[in-house]
Amino acid sequence: MVKEFNILITGVGGQGVILMSELLGKSAVEERLRVRGSEILGMAVRGGSVTSAIRLGDEVYGPLIPMGKCDALVGMEPSEALRNITYLSKSSLVIVNMAITLPFTISIGKSKYPSLEEILEKLDNASGRVIKLDATQIAQQAGSLLATNIVMLGALFGIGKLPISIETIKETIRARFPAKTAPVNIKAFDLGYQACQQALK
Amino acid sequence: MKELTISSDAPGERLFVLGNEAIARGAIEAGVQVAAAYPGTPSSEILETLAGVAKELDMYVEWSTNEKVAFEVALAASICGVRAMVSMKHVGVNVAHDPLMTASYIGAKGGLVLVSADDPWAWSSQNEQDNRYIAEQGHIPILEPSSVQEAKDMMADAFKLSEEFSHLFMLRSVTRIGHARGDLVLGEISKERRKGYFKKDRPWLVYTPAGARRNKPLMIERFEAIKKAANTLPYNQLRLAERAKLGIIACGLSYSYALEAVKWLGIEDQVSILKIGTPHPLPEKLVMSLLNSVGEILVVEELEPFVELHVKAIAGEANIPVKIHGKDLLPIIGELSTRAVTEAIAKLTNTKPPVDFTQLDNLEQEVAPLLPWRPPALCPGCPHRASFHAITMAARRVARDYGKEVEPIYPSDIGCYTLGVNPPLEAVDTCICMGGSFGIANGLAHVVDAPIVAHLGDSTFFHAGIPPLINAVYNKANITMVVLDNSATAMTGFQPHPGTGYTATGDETVQLKPEDIARACGVKFVEVVDPFDIKKATEKIEKAIRFDGPAVIVSRRLCTMIEQREKRKRKEEVVLYSIDQDKCNIKCDACVKLLGCPAIIKQDAKTVIDSSLCTGCGVCAQICPYKAITQEQR
Repeated sequence: MVKEFNILITGVGGQGVILMSELLGKSAVEERLRVRGSEILGMAVRGGSVTSAIRLGDEVYGPLIPMGKCDALVGMEPSEALRNITYLSKSSLVIVNMAITLPFTISIGKSKYPSLEEILEKLDNASGRVIKLDATQIAQQAGSLLATNIVMLGALFGIGKLPISIETIKETIRARFPAKTAPVNIKAFDLGYQACQQALK
Repeated sequence: MKELTISSDAPGERLFVLGNEAIARGAIEAGVQVAAAYPGTPSSEILETLAGVAKELDMYVEWSTNEKVAFEVALAASICGVRAMVSMKHVGVNVAHDPLMTASYIGAKGGLVLVSADDPWAWSSQNEQDNRYIAEQGHIPILEPSSVQEAKDMMADAFKLSEEFSHLFMLRSVTRIGHARGDLVLGEISKERRKGYFKKDRPWLVYTPAGARRNKPLMIERFEAIKKAANTLPYNQLRLAERAKLGIIACGLSYSYALEAVKWLGIEDQVSILKIGTPHPLPEKLVMSLLNSVGEILVVEELEPFVELHVKAIAGEANIPVKIHGKDLLPIIGELSTRAVTEAIAKLTNTKPPVDFTQLDNLEQEVAPLLPWRPPALCPGCPHRASFHAITMAARRVARDYGKEVEPIYPSDIGCYTLGVNPPLEAVDTCICMGGSFGIANGLAHVVDAPIVAHLGDSTFFHAGIPPLINAVYNKANITMVVLDNSATAMTGFQPHPGTGYTATGDETVQLKPEDIARACGVKFVEVVDPFDIKKATEKIEKAIRFDGPAVIVSRRLCTMIEQREKRKRKEEVVLYSIDQDKCNIKCDACVKLLGCPAIIKQDAKTVIDSSLCTGCGVCAQICPYKAITQEQR
């Protein structure tokens, strides 16, 4: 019996949030798990907040994760992780990419960005553990900034709690990308995985 | 091994799909031969999926000019004995409402299914209307799925039911079905292909008053037969718990919330649950069984109290003394959630909620002021931004001649460009419905004294913009109508339309031009401008506003998303812009304050262009008063 496992991926339009949930969902189906999920996109245009829920297990119900029932929160952007804080509980893990994406409302003086310390403190208080990663930099190291989402996916597997095997998710990644860019993405996954394991030590 | 796809005839295999793909798959399994739609969130992927496999599976699939036409295309196919479907967002059904209300008198020969994709919380819509009422008004039975899997299963069955009862069916989806994802077990694909045959049958198909009076009793008869069958359809399921005092009636998607809530509260043995898959007509016998077995009922459904009122009517009619709850404990606004349903059930069963929701609400309030405002914005390089800049500059110039206090009015429409409402552009004053921009402008022209510049997109123009354009000519409305022509239905995912020159299935076709249509409709001032040439565009728009009588401007530039994609394909180099800090006056901020382009940012007390976002459109360079923005050296 595979217990329900709830993953919330959050970020900004264009960061590849939806692709991450597609890779997770496909892999879960490969492993004969039930999957449900859904996205919150607002108006589906670049720059807005994006949240995607993926629920895995032998028995899953609604497409969205109830408040306080998230097992792993993956924040592609610090303030977007904070925006979803009410899904957390003391048993949740948070993985957050520390690279900030400023909305244009800040340039035109209509909004402010909180300090990173404040974001991390709030997330820390609300969850069991916060893992900070410089995923954008790790992606660069792997060979492409575009692979930041795959670094974070690797980190998600690095926590060692997902009911999906590493082989399966890697197979899905290989099948999803053209032969030319697949190796970069696999490298990004591995580096993300290692970085998370390192942080957990 | 061949990879499994949405068109694989592989019964029993499993795929990870979007709900809308599941709905399309259901139609594929039923052997649908005709599918028509107009794009609209959250419905667009249904027809997109079908268009992608149309040739392989020998189906006719089209993007129609609007939902009314789409519905008529499908209805005609059904009349000729062919299985047909039509899909649209909830407000699209309003456009198709006219033929729909008579189509139910006709019923169906070939299975006919209308997919209505409702949007609770109006995630990408102008309202959150509940289309179960539209179905009820037309005596149209509704199938409402609780999951992605059931959406597929119901869709496949809907065609069979439609033929069995000679009546059209509505599949009511919602955002959390169509835009949910899940694992899907595939069924068998029907290979049957029928030849359409139009049998002249005027008593059935000619709706004179006599036709209406002849056919309405037949429609009622068909609906009564479906009502009886509802009790045994597999989508309605009653699970009685022996010790239950509370009975839950959960409709469609809400069933998944109710199940999860009951499990979360750990009270599975204390509540009976009736799952409703056909809210109209309700399975009355099952409802009666539940009403007779418990003391209290909670009806769980999104939006309006549709099932609740019907259940109350059934209880009242049968004199069953049971307390029926619904909208007294659950919101009538927005989407339901496991949380909301859990709280309602906890209250009725005196159970402690598994999570301290109040604490989480407090946390949410505590965090809210810290969060940056991140509204969706027009993309960097979006031609609409340039058009709005030109429109507002020109209109303000003309407004000065009307008087000091006069401001131009910008009736707008449904599309990406509605985002022009946000600062700094603020070029959207109304947004009501498809084509509503031109229509509202017509009315304004006769009651206010100000420059009126209405705008809509190219796809919206073909959908509902032409009748109000003709109205402006006919009734001499002195307005300027701008078609923001980015040669795409961009908001919903770049579907082709009559202005693009190709069809849903990729075939080339006649390319219609809004300017030709405007001239043919008798508009005397028609000009095409390039929004990226700000000066010229502004001058021509000003002329249009000053023109005495209705004027049309077509502001034409390909959607930047498509443009970038095509440039990458052609391996064309994009030359970006940057700001020369020596020339830039940091106090000026014209580029930031006039355009609000996400690529122009403030960094370390400087205004800079984010090279990862800039598309090289050059609009900011044209408006910089210090000529500080220039193309980077190659």
